Amino acid sequence: MQQREEKQLEAAVESLISRVAHVKNALHSFIYKLENEYERLTWPSVLDNFALLSGQLNTINKLLKNEKTPSFRNQVIIPLLLSPDRDEDLAKLTELRVPVFSHEIVPDYLRTKPDPEVEEQEKQLSVEAARIGPEVAQKQIQTLNKLCSNLLEKLNNPRDDRDAESSAIRQNKPSFNPADTNALVGAVAFGKGLSKCRPPGPVAPGHPGQGPMMSGGPTLQQVTIGGGSNQQAVMGGPGAPQQPGQPGKMPSSIKTNIKSASGSMHPYNR
Amino acid sequence: MEAPQVTVMPVTGGTINMMEYLLQGSVFDQALESLLHRLRGLCDNMEPETFTDHELVYLLKGQQGNPFILRARRSLSHPTSPWHLRYLGQPEVGDKSRHALVRNCVDVAASHSLPEFLNEMGFRMDHEFVANGHIFRKGAMKIVVSKLSRILVPGNTENTERLSLSFLVELSVLAPAGQDTMSEDMRSFAEQLKPLVHLEKIDPSKQRH
Repeated sequence: MQQREEKQLEAAVESLISRVAHVKNALHSFIYKLENEYERLTWPSVLDNFALLSGQLNTINKLLKNEKTPSFRNQVIIPLLLSPDRDEDLAKLTELRVPVFSHEIVPDYLRTKPDPEVEEQEKQLSVEAARIGPEVAQKQIQTLNKLCSNLLEKLNNPRDDRDAESSAIRQNKPSFNPADTNALVGAVAFGKGLSKCRPPGPVAPGHPGQGPMMSGGPTLQQVTIGGGSNQQAVMGGPGAPQQPGQPGKMPSSIKTNIKSASGSMHPYNR
Repeated sequence: MEAPQVTVMPVTGGTINMMEYLLQGSVFDQALESLLHRLRGLCDNMEPETFTDHELVYLLKGQQGNPFILRARRSLSHPTSPWHLRYLGQPEVGDKSRHALVRNCVDVAASHSLPEFLNEMGFRMDHEFVANGHIFRKGAMKIVVSKLSRILVPGNTENTERLSLSFLVELSVLAPAGQDTMSEDMRSFAEQLKPLVHLEKIDPSKQRH
């Protein structure tokens, strides 16, 4: 009887050791990948690594729950000899992670109870659970299950009618107005609605008789657009004082005195 | 006096004839946030850039034909930056199937004495406005979402009044003349902004009347 249990214990510990070694290798390669290849890492491959670790932890759990496994709770590990000296064999065995079997490592490596903070949190949780009562707890469990299943269903079955409803809602609220577009484009392109001097709206070209500001002169003539040769323009430009025309009184061109005079006094000019 | 050909003008520093491809649309104030989110996702990853600009449009009236228009723009948020002077030609009427408005474009930087210089040259300021908003880039494409404000007292950029309750959205590309590949990219980008904004080719001359 004793022997069988011993054999079982030994076998269980062996398989546990091998499983844990697998987890350790997976973690090692994952950490290496994260540290050295993080530029090339994609989210799916990170998820794969996590899935691998999760699978390995699952097998460990199954192993521990296995009926052939004796209960490890009944086993106690008591350190027989603690020394602050470096132990080469231990160091080799643990890949230099535990070089010394001393008082410092005992609380970490031989721990059987959870950490004090974790214990505190667990106690709080169990108090909370006891407080709300079994019916309330059951109802909460059911609500959670329903929410999860709804979410899973929505994620797994993309429905086309769902898209149609949402697009119909969106169409009811137009986000732009073509009239506004035209108004803005008109304002940017030629100042529609911006100049205060001209009457609102575009002014038709070719209106003679505009421009009240004219200093006195002997032969006052307003030459509208369409007259005058290039030569006249050149003469009128640099030489004559320009009338400070109203900004925006388009397009009646108010010629200067000199130009008007020459226009009227030399009818044979070409 | 017809406006002289752009290639004949003494443009220093390169005489490449640049064309501007333009698509315009507008979006309500309420939809602005969603548009900005979408643009932040679609466009190049950069710090969201806002701008406040004051644009003055100068006209040189000839005896005949259309007046010559120059646009002077300065930044109100960076007052020490140089002024920006731009000439935009008439939209090219060519290919009806071309998806964007194409027009000749000349851009130069200028010093802060630009308004006085233009006045001395004979230009008169026709209108001015203040534009502020956001600017995004995607490759060669530039997307500007701006709200335009009318200046109530000439020269006073503090006292402004909004022109409309919408923001103007413009998608533009500057490319050398002859390169027509951009309009396809612009059209596919514009598709991605529907139905929030409809970016389309709006001919300004059709808006006049």
